[in-house]
Amino acid sequence: MASVQNAYEPQFFNVIHPLNDVPEQKCSSEGLGRIVMTRAVRISLGALRAYLVLMTLMLGYHVLDLAGVLHKTF
Amino acid sequence: MVFGPGLIVMEADNDAGAVSTYMQAGGQYGLHLLWILVVLLPICYFVQEMVARLGIATGKGHAAMIYERFGKWWGHFSLFDLLLVNFLTLITEFAAISLALSAMGVSPRISVPVAALGLTLLVITGSYLRWERVVIALCLLDLTWFGLAFIVHPGWASVARNTVVPTMPLGGVTSSLVFLVIAIVGTTIAPWQLFFQQSCVAEKRLRFADLRWARLDTLIGSVFTVCVAGAMMLVGNYGFQHGIVFQNPAQFAGAILPMLGHFACNSILLLMVNAAVLGTTAISLASAWAYGEVRGWEHSLHKKLWEAPGFYATYIVCVGAAAAFVLIPHVPLQLVIISVQVFAGVILPSAIIFLQLLLNDRELLGNRWVNRPWNNVVNWTIIVVLFALSLLLAAQVMLPNLFN
Repeated sequence: MASVQNAYEPQFFNVIHPLNDVPEQKCSSEGLGRIVMTRAVRISLGALRAYLVLMTLMLGYHVLDLAGVLHKTF
Repeated sequence: MVFGPGLIVMEADNDAGAVSTYMQAGGQYGLHLLWILVVLLPICYFVQEMVARLGIATGKGHAAMIYERFGKWWGHFSLFDLLLVNFLTLITEFAAISLALSAMGVSPRISVPVAALGLTLLVITGSYLRWERVVIALCLLDLTWFGLAFIVHPGWASVARNTVVPTMPLGGVTSSLVFLVIAIVGTTIAPWQLFFQQSCVAEKRLRFADLRWARLDTLIGSVFTVCVAGAMMLVGNYGFQHGIVFQNPAQFAGAILPMLGHFACNSILLLMVNAAVLGTTAISLASAWAYGEVRGWEHSLHKKLWEAPGFYATYIVCVGAAAAFVLIPHVPLQLVIISVQVFAGVILPSAIIFLQLLLNDRELLGNRWVNRPWNNVVNWTIIVVLFALSLLLAAQVMLPNLFN
């Protein structure tokens, strides 16, 4: 006897909000230490550090100057 | 479900300072600077896409990644810069709330503390999703700018032409034009956005498979924010067409009242408040997330107030101190505004450099998440342009007569 196959196979898509999902194993920096940099990158970052410190100091000076703090007479 | 961080970070970037800058651009130069927004659209997207990718790959915020991969000096320096420039920006947000609601007859002594209280209540409910839904609703209120742009009848053929064809305003390159162009770039891409979106993606626990939706979210956010910025410029252009000189949007709103009526006037004032509220909550959260990450505190909107006291205290201190600062009589707000623009301009390129280096960190990310060669070409080009603008801005502030 031929079996009658039921073609109706309901499919359910269970959409899970990221907040309710199982946490994934992310890329972790644990045990890696600091990023590996070439000499050129290290020198560039050193130059950037100097630039940022200099600009921050210049800006701070300029702001204090505009605020009149540097020209106060006592 | 994945949507949110990209739209919020982009639209919150249209904060009070941005409203003022875009409207000034329209008011002083008409439609001539519209094309800059089109140029900024891909820049916004490429930078923020990298942030979203890094957030999804690592599940951590930007401050934590800088701290872990570049050491304490850079970690502390980035954090200090971020907190300082964010705090100065928050002061401008509350100044805008004060200004706009004063124009509607509400005393700053009422409007500023009420806004600070509301912004605090918004985050301490212990639900990220609740915060996100409220903030997205506020973002969508910015659709009103399109209505205002239609009301002012800018001449759409001219708008289309100026959007795609760069033109030089009458008067050529002046100090004011250079400053405004840099201000537009600086206000469209701000350092806090990098920290905010990566922390927000981590907070929402987006999965690897969510990346393409996060990209779409970022793209939609970029397009939306640039279109809203364009609408603000069109509204400002009304002042240009009618000879209205204004220093800030509240003044502009008052000036157009006899011509365009109460709806347009009040809409501009309320949209200015909305922009400031959006900016304040996003910027304060960027600070609180970054500080919490570096200090190793619990730093999540999912936590109750007593479960993450340091994180919420940082948020509340940022909001409360900025609000209190604005209420000090004779406070030099103009100085704060200039400092924000210059300081943000100085630290933005370096913040993007760290992002770029992290996105090339194969040891951490593996081949799947690192930048492709074309990503690197695009991003280094962006960094070079931003550095050039940053230097130009710094030079102009230090030497005000440089272009005169």
